[in-house]
Amino acid sequence: MPDLHELGEAIKRGDRDTAAALTKAAIETKIPAQEILDAMVGAMDIVGQRFQKNEIFVPEMLIAARAMKEAMGLLEPILVEAGITPVAKAVIGTVEGDLHDIGKNLVAMMWKGANFDVIDLGTNVSPQKFVDAVRTNNAQLVGLSALLTTTMPAIKKTVDAIKGAGLDVTKIVIGGAPVTQEYANEVGADGYAPDAASAVDVARSLL
Amino acid sequence: MNGRQRLLAFLRGEPVDSLPLMPITMMFAADHAGVKYGEYATDYRALVAGQIALADAYDVDYVSCISDPAREAADCGARVAMFDDQPPAIVETDALLADKARLASLEPPDPHTGRRMADRVRAAALFRQQVGDRKLIEGWIEGPCAEAADLRGINTLMLDFFDDPDFVHQLFEFTLQLGMRFARAQVEAGADLVGVGDAAASLVGPEFYQQFVWPYERRLVQALHDMGALVRLHICGNTGAILGGMGQLGCDIVDLDFMVSLADARRVMGPQQVLLGNIDPVRVLRGGTPESIRAAIAQCHRDAGPRYIVGAGCEVPRATAPANLRALTEYARATAP
Ligand code: B1M
Repeated sequence: MPDLHELGEAIKRGDRDTAAALTKAAIETKIPAQEILDAMVGAMDIVGQRFQKNEIFVPEMLIAARAMKEAMGLLEPILVEAGITPVAKAVIGTVEGDLHDIGKNLVAMMWKGANFDVIDLGTNVSPQKFVDAVRTNNAQLVGLSALLTTTMPAIKKTVDAIKGAGLDVTKIVIGGAPVTQEYANEVGADGYAPDAASAVDVARSLL
Repeated sequence: MNGRQRLLAFLRGEPVDSLPLMPITMMFAADHAGVKYGEYATDYRALVAGQIALADAYDVDYVSCISDPAREAADCGARVAMFDDQPPAIVETDALLADKARLASLEPPDPHTGRRMADRVRAAALFRQQVGDRKLIEGWIEGPCAEAADLRGINTLMLDFFDDPDFVHQLFEFTLQLGMRFARAQVEAGADLVGVGDAAASLVGPEFYQQFVWPYERRLVQALHDMGALVRLHICGNTGAILGGMGQLGCDIVDLDFMVSLADARRVMGPQQVLLGNIDPVRVLRGGTPESIRAAIAQCHRDAGPRYIVGAGCEVPRATAPANLRALTEYARATAP
């Protein structure tokens, strides 16, 4: 009987080969897809919390996320078969003029880890590109990241563009080192998260 | 005392008339001089004129060759996007060493003939001609970890630490040699001090820092001292977890970014290490008032004690009110260490 606890541990230490092998074994022994998914999501939650507490750092977080991605790739078709759909469709990107992407990548990974279907638009993303992606994908959630004070106004422009396009049902979460809750209130974003782990909680609370 | 005398005496542990002042200015200096940042970063004459004008206007004790992290990478052949009024940016999606195998055939560029590196060497020489002995002259290089991130792509390098430690060591050896050559050219041209920017090092934890980064930073610091240069280490970001190692590099000056507690740094690094910083450049320096800035910098000084140089955690942001930067000058000049 494959061990889901071990699967979680493999994800936490970023061991993608073991994570993949255990996921395959779990699928083969017909462990319910939901249980496998829960083990993965639980593991990523713990990774996020450790990062938040400075117990692990960017490299550890990135390899854990990579292991998660590998395992998730195997599980996805089984989830579809079982009728388990992603919790939400999310579009994420770093705003126009800004090339920083490590924090955004971590948020995207945590969202994937929480079983969101994440479309990552990359860096330097124009307001129009966000609007188009939200519309095409029918996204319920948008994540905007900015690391420069000079690109914070691009958050406002993007929020305005999304709301202005009549996509009001889409919830917007913003973050990045210079961003604050007050700024989120000011620009009319629906949520603010100081780090990748809380970005999951905030998104869940909005949906 | 002029700025150069003040800094040199202070770093030797001799008495000085007031606290030294060394804020990092790049875009702020270009704006002050009325030149577009694209020109500032590519024409050493614009950079030198901008730095001198700023240092004179704000009584800053040094002038610096710093402009952007992409000089070494550009001359190695990395794709770098240039802008009219923004800093050059390395195109990470098309990183030079996306294929690790390329490292074996990569030669460190000659700093004298390289395009962007030579421009910085010329800046150091022109500074020597123009500021003479009035201000300390700072050269600048990327540290081994930051340059590795510039060449390999920072996201990929983070995975390499686990996937291919041998490659990381080879890459850091390359970036170390590159940094040493570039520094030597700037020192020979006239730099008194070499600033080492190793921003990517703040993303790794203490174990990787000790295992991969510290040994190369240490060799770099020793090599710079052997060249007769003073050394300033600048790691942007939260270095709280690696302060111990940073304090053992033997740097003449250690900068701290705003998210690090100066009191912690002092405790960890001991009473002799010269610390520089660390008010929040954006919220405090740009967003505050001269009064709030004076209060914040006085607190830094109390936390750091007498071996302290006035500055912000990182670059003085564009559009900082002149009166706000002047508040730093006034505090420094009115205060004994
Ligand atoms: C959707 O919802 C959410 C929710 C939460 C969200 C979120 C979205 N996005 C982020 N979060 C949050 O969760 C994450 C995880 O917990 C966190 O993400 P962070 O991104 O904050 O944290 C990451 C995990 C780790 N942190 C990082 O990745 C940023 C690290 C530092 C060192 C940094 C880096 C690495 C880089 N840089 Co830049 N850089 C700095 C940074 C210094 C520092 N103080 O940290 C900072 C951000 N840089 C700065 C600057 C000025 C610049 N940088 C520049 C360039 C670069 C590099 C390209 C060299 C590189 C980025 C590479 C990359 N692929 O991302 C230039 C601009 C380029 C551009 N147009 O974007 C340039 C202008 C430098 C220059 N003069 O050339 C400063 C910004 C100052 C400001 N407030 O405006 C800076 C703070 C350094 C400093 N101390 O001055 C949270 O903020």
